[in-house]
Amino acid sequence: MSGVSLSNIKKAYGPINVIHDVNIKVEQGEFVVFVGPSGCGKSTLLRMIAGLEETTGGTIDIEGADVTHLEAAKRGVSMVFQSYALYPHLSVFDNMAFSMQIARRPKDEIKQKVDEAARILQLEDHLDRKPSQLSGGQRQRVAIGRAIVRQPKVFLFDEPLSNLDAELRVQMRMEIARLHNQIGATMIYVTHDQVEAMTLADKIVVLKSGSVQQIGSPLDLYDNPDNQFVAGFIGSPKMNFLKGIVNEPRVDGKITITLDDAPNTTFDITCGSATLNAGDAVTVGIRPENIGLEHDETVGPTVFLKPEFTEELGGVSYIHTQTKDGVRVTIERRSERNRVDQEDLQVTLPVRDLFVFDADGARLR
Amino acid sequence: MGNMKTGNILLLTFTVIAACAWAFPLYWAIVTSIKPEADVVAGTIFLPETIDISSYVWALLETNIVRWYINSIGTSVLITVVVIMISMMCGYALSQIVFPGRRALFLIVLASFMVPSQALVVSQFILMHKFGMVDSWAGIILPQVIIPVVVIVYKQFFDSVPRELREAAKLDGCSEFQILFKLYLPLNWGITAALSIITFIMAWNNFLWPFLVITSEEMMTITVGITQVGDAFGVKYARDMAIAVMAAMPVAIAYLIFQRRVTQAIMLSSGIKG
Repeated sequence: MSGVSLSNIKKAYGPINVIHDVNIKVEQGEFVVFVGPSGCGKSTLLRMIAGLEETTGGTIDIEGADVTHLEAAKRGVSMVFQSYALYPHLSVFDNMAFSMQIARRPKDEIKQKVDEAARILQLEDHLDRKPSQLSGGQRQRVAIGRAIVRQPKVFLFDEPLSNLDAELRVQMRMEIARLHNQIGATMIYVTHDQVEAMTLADKIVVLKSGSVQQIGSPLDLYDNPDNQFVAGFIGSPKMNFLKGIVNEPRVDGKITITLDDAPNTTFDITCGSATLNAGDAVTVGIRPENIGLEHDETVGPTVFLKPEFTEELGGVSYIHTQTKDGVRVTIERRSERNRVDQEDLQVTLPVRDLFVFDADGARLR
Repeated sequence: MGNMKTGNILLLTFTVIAACAWAFPLYWAIVTSIKPEADVVAGTIFLPETIDISSYVWALLETNIVRWYINSIGTSVLITVVVIMISMMCGYALSQIVFPGRRALFLIVLASFMVPSQALVVSQFILMHKFGMVDSWAGIILPQVIIPVVVIVYKQFFDSVPRELREAAKLDGCSEFQILFKLYLPLNWGITAALSIITFIMAWNNFLWPFLVITSEEMMTITVGITQVGDAFGVKYARDMAIAVMAAMPVAIAYLIFQRRVTQAIMLSSGIKG
């Protein structure tokens, strides 16, 4: 049975459409991350699942039941907000117990459930405190605890780690991953941080301007992006993009491409059914870790790059460079630590690691 | 540096003079009330030579002041409770609930803020008369329970409660009433206390409306009651002052206890958000 299923979901504010025909299926127990730049509609989508926003069209099913027009409290969802949204006048215990107190559950049942959640989240010593007496990480744990005690069918997280500092964010990320393993509930998580998405998700939904760009497992999206947006969004540092043109149109399902920065070499790539003519512009992408610092024309085109500065992080370093046209290219190096001087580098872009996109950003493969 | 010092001294002098000017009538009223009547009319002595509390004894025993106290306390407390309840709910609805005509309703509340209560007394009196409420507590209370500024202050405060708290409460299963009473009210206790006190003081001090709507001495509030004293035997300054001091006493005590809250409320209702 599917945990959450969105069919043809639309949302408009007056004449402005912000969500266009979104279809997503979340399996029961799955951890799904909605990721995208700010303003892409990911939070709106989550709030529609929660019942905090009306839908303009389409249906939302939770565990087989149509909840599209059901009020928020009756959908069986819990939400963890970016700002924690803890009730400032209530103790940690009362914050977690609030929903059950509203539902007039017996006192011992409330205590048992709150204690259980506090144990999972290591909050036992803080139950009498007010939210203002807790650190950011503890507050976020209380917010998660409040979600747990309701035993929802679906947990919704709206950028829950954005207000935490970097170190705590990593720690809370692991705690959320552990929590998911422990209670195995369906979780939908919204973030603009693709590292969070990659580390937490069973399945990532990449959104842009209210439309789904691609749905898949983190490595699927990394290895096999459908379009230039997904290719650029997933992965850190970002994929490098260089301009090129189609040299010869399709022969045997392949086209020949010349990079603007390597006019003397051509390479062939499979282009499926795409119809491209000679002279059409394309974009060629390559991930920073795949750029070869050795000059070897047998594996792919070679390009001259001017190094600007290097970030040396110990185990890995990033060389930030520019092509002669000023396009920025980042190169990742592991193990080798000898410094790159300011002279031009001639690097190799292995053909097997190249992604080619047409002028509209669609992947050619 | 020298200039600033001179400036400070000037400012201080001016403040002291202003404070004295303001306090003098109060001082005069209290001093007059504890003088024998003969001393009051006799001279211009600032301090009483003999202290005489007979005016107070007279007021307590010979007038209906206890009854007036009860009427004032009763009506003022009821007005305060009803004003706070109505305004809180109205402010909540205007601030948090989306419904057709919300903006128009808010503008009407704002507009009614600008109508002086004196302009309404005639129509209110006719209305109370038709309801058969003249000379009753209900008649005193009902026209006083709408105070638009309290609604507006509540709306402003409810506006500033983070939206996520309300959404979290909704997900936790709260109805609108539960959200108001379990979340918004506890988060705004301070302003509720401040508005209650200032409403109580306004209701206590109100003179014009009770003066019009009350016809029997038993139903008078204390502000109306003091106008009834002493007329039969000509002006008796000590008695008048004694009863005036007694009328002002509860409000003065309330003010001293809740000084900070009252100041806060006055600043809020005049738009200087403190």
